[in-house]
Amino acid sequence: MGPGRQGQDVAASFLSHVSTGRPREASALPAVELEHVHKWYGSIHAVRGISLRILQNEFFSLLGPSGCGKTTVLRMISGFETPTEGTVYLKGEVANAIPPYRRDTNLIFQHLALFPHLDVYDNIAFGLRLRRLPRPEIARKVRAALELVDLVGYDTRRIHQLSGGQKQRIAIARALVNEPAVLLLDEPLGALDLRLRIQMQVELKEIQHRVGTTFVYVTHDQTEAMTMSDRIAVMNHGFVEQIGTSRDVYERPRTRFVATFLGDSNLLEAQVESSNADQTVLRAGAARLIGPADAGATPGSSVTLCVRPERLRFAGAGTASGGDDGNRLDARVRDAIFKGAVIEYRLVTESGARLILQAHADAARPVEPGAAVTVTWRKEDGVLLTE
Amino acid sequence: MSPTYAATPRGARGRSLALTGLLGPATVFLAAVLLVALCILLVNSAYHFTGTQVQPTLTFEAYRHFFTDPFYAGVVWQEIRLAVTTTAICLVVGYPTAYAITKIRRPGWVIAAYILIFSPLLTSSIVRAYGWLVVLARGGLVNWALLRLHLVAAPVRLLFDVTGVTVALVHVLLPFTVFPILSVLLRTDPALREAAADLGATRLQGFFRITWPLSFPGLYAAAQLTFVLAMNAYVTPQLLGGGRVQVLPLLIYENISDLDWPLAAVEATVLIVLVWATMLGSNLLFRRRLATLEDRR
Repeated sequence: MGPGRQGQDVAASFLSHVSTGRPREASALPAVELEHVHKWYGSIHAVRGISLRILQNEFFSLLGPSGCGKTTVLRMISGFETPTEGTVYLKGEVANAIPPYRRDTNLIFQHLALFPHLDVYDNIAFGLRLRRLPRPEIARKVRAALELVDLVGYDTRRIHQLSGGQKQRIAIARALVNEPAVLLLDEPLGALDLRLRIQMQVELKEIQHRVGTTFVYVTHDQTEAMTMSDRIAVMNHGFVEQIGTSRDVYERPRTRFVATFLGDSNLLEAQVESSNADQTVLRAGAARLIGPADAGATPGSSVTLCVRPERLRFAGAGTASGGDDGNRLDARVRDAIFKGAVIEYRLVTESGARLILQAHADAARPVEPGAAVTVTWRKEDGVLLTE
Repeated sequence: MSPTYAATPRGARGRSLALTGLLGPATVFLAAVLLVALCILLVNSAYHFTGTQVQPTLTFEAYRHFFTDPFYAGVVWQEIRLAVTTTAICLVVGYPTAYAITKIRRPGWVIAAYILIFSPLLTSSIVRAYGWLVVLARGGLVNWALLRLHLVAAPVRLLFDVTGVTVALVHVLLPFTVFPILSVLLRTDPALREAAADLGATRLQGFFRITWPLSFPGLYAAAQLTFVLAMNAYVTPQLLGGGRVQVLPLLIYENISDLDWPLAAVEATVLIVLVWATMLGSNLLFRRRLATLEDRR
């Protein structure tokens, strides 16, 4: 299925300027850098002062709900929009005013925008012809690009004869054949069905590994971002809320928004009672909770304690790892949802707070709805959110 | 991206029933009027005209007359030239107009542009023709301006000549040129131009490699429509040609007035054949090109 078997040699012939042995984080200059970038559309402030650095050869995702400004950021990198304020750098050079056709970036459009009046070959050769490359070189590069996306022999197919997944790959080939310094992707997998989308995610990641180009990927799908990205910038209302690796943003969300946008979270409102270098003691209603140490937690201040559903356990139900550090909440099971690998329990505490607990489906005995339970978690599994 | 409808057997029958119901009246009406009229026409064209009346005997002498007298060849030639010139001018003026309308951002201005383009159709053709009489006459607006600007020494003949007829025809037919082109341009995904720019195309390259080829079906439809309408124009050459611009519709009317039905029928047949031959010929010529563009839907 995947183009995996061609291996490294295709990548080498495809991108001759990328030395294959180069360490991934070697380059000093960021491929893309944004400095205090703002974008206004009339009276709408779409992007509100974003600064970020995207390293060379990195798979970087801009993740956020629709209208958060992620596509605008992408369009400013590709040159279709000019920042109202701030600077966009490409490989260290100011790029604000460079038109798209003179940028070393290529964009894969949300609806792909393949040229319907041209066949597959002409679509892929489009950029090469504009650069007036010699005909044999164009033929060679198009072939290598088709090999890269595993569609050799599709040269004369017309666009409407291709399946959704094939169109997807042609769009990737059409962009990558130009050997851009940065490949920008604007939710290109949105139109595919779930199975194909997951397959394309893996393939995109593989292609990126092989060609070693910087990928900037815009998506509203957190699983997609986490599957593929080296780093993710989580965006909301024109701001970047957090930048980090998938693991970082999932396990150490910095804001309420990040905690809720990436997967499910249990959010408990609490007051800080005391804090030291080891832990933070919190009070949530009648319950006393222990959170991780946090420099920002001053006694008396209000915080939100965030615990991921898979970190919660039923107290006493098989003590697999360590103690519970004193975090205990009594709750009642409202619902148990079987999800294949896991069972998701919807709980409600005595104070009325709603919790989600995820347990492996093979756990000794499933808990029935209506049962009174005690929920526990380790202090380091909690994250204190101050915003 | 376009939705596809699964045609279940029942749905298919329902569809064909609905289609019959929807298309039936128009089909019957067109068939009755067009086919019956065509048959009468063909029969008439073969009859004998004594000079005062039509005799129902098959002679085909009207055909002989039409095809041997060089006058008629001249008329046909002038008419084709008129229609081709009009169509060409309409396309040259209409394409940029349609393109410009797609670029207007303010909705108010778009409506204004539509009204402007449509305005010739909101006036009766007679009123419009008299309007052009006033503008193009010896002492009319155009000549006055030309004289005042010292571009010409004496008034130019614009009226009762092919020039005036062409100008007036372009005026009437421009909406029929603009709208097919406009509708195709509006259906073209703007992301395609962006994709071209992203791949290194300047605005000009983007236009000629993407917009232009994709708008070809609209341009083609516009050309056909304009040409057919120009070939069949009657009022404009009648009022603005001043007898110097002879075209088949005028001759047909004159011959019918003179009761020479066979000759009128021959002229009508020739006109129909000319128009159909042009349509079919151009369809054959551009078949491949159109086919590759049509399947984008």
